[in-house]
This record gives sequence, C-alpha cells and structure tokens, in this order.
Amino acid sequence: MATLFVMQGRDKGKRFDLRGEGITLGRDGSNRIQLNDSEISRRHAEVRRTSEGIVLADLASSNGTFVNLEKIGERLLKNGDRVQIGRTLLLFTDADDRSSVNLAHDVDIVGLGSASLAGGESGNVEGSRILKSVSHESGSQLFAPPDPAESPWLARARSNLQVMYRTALAVSHTLDIDQLLTRILDLIFEWVETDRGCIMLVDSETEELAPAASRNRKGARVDGKMSISRTILDYVMQHKEGVLTSDARDDERWNPEGSIVKLGVREAICVPMQGRYGIVGVIYIDTYTPPGQVIQQRAANKFSEEHLKLMVAIGHQAALAVEDTSYYSAMVQAERLAAMGQTIATLSHHIKNILQGIRGGSYLIEEGLKEEDNDVVRRGWRIVDKNQERISNLVMDMLTFSKDREPELAEADLNQTLADVVELMQARAGEAEVQLALARRDDLPQFRFDADLLHKAVLNVVTNAIDACEKRAGGRVEVSVEYQPGEQFVHIVVSDNGEGIAAEDLQRIFSVFESKKGSRGTGLGLPVSQKIMREHGGDIRVESTPGAGSRFYLELPTNVSSGGAPVNQTE
Amino acid sequence: MSQPPSVLIVEPSADEREVLRTVLARRGLQIWEAAEVEQGLALAREHHPDVIVLDAEAQRADEVEARYGAASAGQRSSLIVLGRVGRDCAIAASQTIAKPYHFAPLVHKIEQLAAKAA
Repeated sequence: MATLFVMQGRDKGKRFDLRGEGITLGRDGSNRIQLNDSEISRRHAEVRRTSEGIVLADLASSNGTFVNLEKIGERLLKNGDRVQIGRTLLLFTDADDRSSVNLAHDVDIVGLGSASLAGGESGNVEGSRILKSVSHESGSQLFAPPDPAESPWLARARSNLQVMYRTALAVSHTLDIDQLLTRILDLIFEWVETDRGCIMLVDSETEELAPAASRNRKGARVDGKMSISRTILDYVMQHKEGVLTSDARDDERWNPEGSIVKLGVREAICVPMQGRYGIVGVIYIDTYTPPGQVIQQRAANKFSEEHLKLMVAIGHQAALAVEDTSYYSAMVQAERLAAMGQTIATLSHHIKNILQGIRGGSYLIEEGLKEEDNDVVRRGWRIVDKNQERISNLVMDMLTFSKDREPELAEADLNQTLADVVELMQARAGEAEVQLALARRDDLPQFRFDADLLHKAVLNVVTNAIDACEKRAGGRVEVSVEYQPGEQFVHIVVSDNGEGIAAEDLQRIFSVFESKKGSRGTGLGLPVSQKIMREHGGDIRVESTPGAGSRFYLELPTNVSSGGAPVNQTE
Repeated sequence: MSQPPSVLIVEPSADEREVLRTVLARRGLQIWEAAEVEQGLALAREHHPDVIVLDAEAQRADEVEARYGAASAGQRSSLIVLGRVGRDCAIAASQTIAKPYHFAPLVHKIEQLAAKAA
C-alpha cells in the first residue's frame, strides 16, 4: 500500500493512504490530503496513478513541489522519496514495490544435503573451492593499530577507516536522539584532540540552528558558556562545506575584526551534517591553546586538514543517523497517537452506549412518574441500575488493565469467592434465561489469592458465558473447581453450552478491545481476567467447540509467594 | 376501523428497544422490533411499517436504507437513523439523530412521522 507519511511540519506523524483516484494535497478542506501549512497552496499538488506507478504532479502552486530537494512539475515517485511542499516534509513509501516479486524465481540454493559451507574435508562447494575464510573477529583486525613499518599514508588511511567503522557502529540502532548525539560527541573526543564540542540541529519549525548536545574535555580550560561564531555557522550552512580555522588572523576568509578573533578561538572545525536530502545540523569543535603554551611547546596546530576531512565524513554519517532516528521517532509517535486515538474512540463508544441506556431508563422513570404508572417507573429504574453497573464495571476493568500491580495475597476461601460471583450473576442469568450453577468442592484447603481480583477475573468469564448462552434453549453455565492435593495449580472451570468460539477467534479473545458481543461487549473483560490470573502467577486458557460451548480454565497457583510467582513446593 | 400507525425498531440494544416499545405502545402505535438487520428487513417486508427507527451502527446505514426502500416498494416508510452517519454515506433518511440522544425529541419525531402517514 502506498502512503505519504508526514515527517516534518504541523501534521507530523500523520499517514495518508494513497489508495483511490484524484488525491490532491493542499491547504483547503476539499483536498483528500489536507495539510496545515500556510506556505502550501489551496490545491498544491496531485497524486496520480499511472501504468508506471504513482506520479506526483505540482498544480501550479505558489511555492512549488520538491522531490528529494529537486523542484518538479511531474515526477514518478519511488519508495523512500521525500516530498517537500511548503514547510511540510513527507516520506513516500510503497510496500508493494518489491513485495509482489517472488524472489524464489531469481535465487536458487543448489546442492544436496545440509547447508555446510565448508563443503566437507575437500572444501568443495558445488564446483567451487573455498580459498580463504575469515571470521568476524579476524575481520575486525582490518582496523588493528598500524604496523610501524607501514607507510604513513596507509597508517592514516587505516586509522581513519577505523574511525568511520566505529562511528557507523556507534550510531546504528539508536532511537533516542539525545543518546545518539552524545555518542557522536564521545567518539569525536576520542579521536580528535579537542577541548569543546557542540552539535547543533536545524529546528524543523524555525529552520534555525539550535544547540542539541555539547561536551567539554575533562580538565580543559573552559570559559563558562560556549560561544560559537555565527560567521562560521553561516558559512558552513550556506556553502555546505566544512571549515577549519587554525589561526583566525591568517585565514583570509575571516575578517580580523570578526567574531572568531574576538572570541579568541585559535582552532576550530565546523562541519555540516549533510543528510540524504539536506543539512540537518552542524558539528562544531574547537580547542584553545594559550599563547604561552604555544611558545613553550612550539606546538603545531592541533587540527589538520586530515581532521577536517574526517570530521566531514563523521558529520555525514551522523546526519544519516539523525535522519533515521527522527524518522523512527516520528513513526513511533504516530503509532502511539494512533493507538491512543483508537483506545479513546473505543472507550467513547462504550460510554456513549451506556449513557444512552441511562438516558432511556431515566426517560421511562419520568414518563412513569408523570402518568403515575409504577410499572413503567420500575422498568426505567431497572435499565438505569443495569447501566450504572455497566459503567462501574467498565471503569474497574480500565483501572485493572491499565495498572501493573501486585495482588494482595491472603489466605482465602475459594468456594466463598465463587459463590459470591454466582450469587451476584443470578439476576443476569435469569434475565438471559440461563441456568447458572456452582459445583462446590467442600474438600478445598485455603489458598492464597487476592479475593477481590479473583472475584473480578471469574466474574468477567461468567458474564461472557451467560452472554454466550443467552436465549438458547437449555442454556447452562456451571462454575466448578478441579483440584488434587499436591498439585501445583487449582483450576476454576467455567463451562457453558453456548454458541462456542471459532478456532480462528480463540487467540484473539484475549486481545484488548476484541469483542464478539457487539455493543454489549467492551473487549476488556477477558484481557483483564487474563492479567489478573497472570499477576497471580497463573493463567487462563480456553477449550471451545463452535455450536456446543466453551470451557474456560482459570489456573491459580496453589502456593504463591508475595510476588505472585509460584513457590516450588519441594523446597 | 383503520389500523394504528406502525413503527419498526431495529436496534441491537435491548434497553433502547424496551424504552421505545414501552413509550410508543402507550401512545397507541403498533410496534415491531428487531435486534439485528436481517430480522428487521423481514419484518419491514411483511408489515410495511410507517416509520422505521434504525441504529446506524448495526450495519452500513445506506445499504440498509436502500434495502428497506426496496422491501417496502410503493409504500415507502419514513426512516429515522440513530447514530453517526459517515460523510460518504448516501443516506436518504427522513431524520438522522446523533448518539447519545434524548428520548423525548426522538419519540416526538416518531409520533410526527407516524401521524403524517396515518
């Protein structure tokens, strides 16, 4: 499925599905993709489906449409293309790009037997012979310290390659941008003799550079707040070049009266963080050697052109990582928002239905009172009462589901807890014309469990069982206990002869907000029961035959520690 | 003696059906009720009610509306849809009432449409 995902701009995190025809992008509400961006025209661009693929066309917009920084009239979009309109940056993805190609047609694994690449003693691999093999550890020796006999050029190249290799490793798999920037600075400090370093990123809203991370060398003389020359920053951003200034007065590009001189920076390197499609920021490092020390040490400049080249390479690598991290963060945020939106929508739906019931019941009471008809008042009251119970259950389920908590374990009578549930549910069972029974076990010892939580867990399962049998001829729900002394678990069994659950739904029933009961179900009941049983160190499982009924087993450890985990009885 | 005006209620919630049934029956209307669409459709075909009250969340309301229209051919029922109807839904209901709604105005509307048909 082709989509446009907003990576930057006020709609950041939104994903637009590109199915169908006539998809326009613009500021106006008449566009399928409406973007909140004042720099976008009312009807800015259009997505068209052609035989070759998906084409983006500019609709004579005021500020133009850009794909990968290039202004376009019309452009066939490729997976990963970045579309910039106004201040909004969108990422084009098309999952069908390659997925439809069956790679089995292109690739064959030939030969017999196991896939041993050594190919036996002879080293033969299907007609080829292995000449040399290198382990992962040996591969890393490519970056071993240079041999003193090696040429200086080769030694430097090898050292630089090592720096880049380690940079690539260090910046991969980081989803936290602050952590990423700190790692980059740490690596720079490891390889370049610098006193101070700072990474500035371009703010997506203001497009201004803003400090994102900084570091000082331990023991370096640092004069309080780090001041960075705007002259350098502007030059780097405008020319997209890294600059090295080892002595401001010798460098023709800098006016002796300029900020570098005033700030007293003797040596500085500032490089752009050039990403795939633009500059995402700059890395700035500098070092200060007091005049006395220069004379004393006869020191050459600490920063060389070699350092500058290396920093430019690091800047590029860092920029790619920053882009990836920003993209993943936006994706995660979008997923989170979508999940939150889904949760709110589902809960609102349930609450709305309950509210509707309360309004209905209240209306009946009002009508009954008006006409002094007690029967109507009673009917109304029953509906109100039922719905206030529903909202109470919903809130309690929401609380139980949202909180991780340890059950308050205490010695308790399982028969009593189950009897309470059955008694509470008798009215509902009667209404549904279902026979509800408890098969008491008088030989049960006391178990340790949180009676309130277990009551809730069993109640939810019994409620479902009654609903599954509702209005079925001979509908029956039985609550029983399976236990043998010495066993690790006691099983509370809730069985019904209701409609049963299809095999493909058996796993889904424990997923939150999955309900097969239509407007009656919240999709929280079974997930809550499962959570409670797991918090006790047990679990819940189900056996079901569609058309014949279901059996739910709530497993409760017979001997649990205070943390809810079963205790090994042999110890 | 002429038949009283009739109302078909297609609503999955038993509570809401009970409220409408109780109140409308006391106002002398003939009531049919269904918890789901197929059952409601069968009742519509059989009885050609004057007013149909349909919960929009039961199924896509436009499909249902078209099917009820066909079912009561020549004797088109007034349709009241309860709940939110999507903007792409080409529904031709006499009235759409968003949820959660108040019952008094709904009952009043049903009475009005039933009286018009009578």
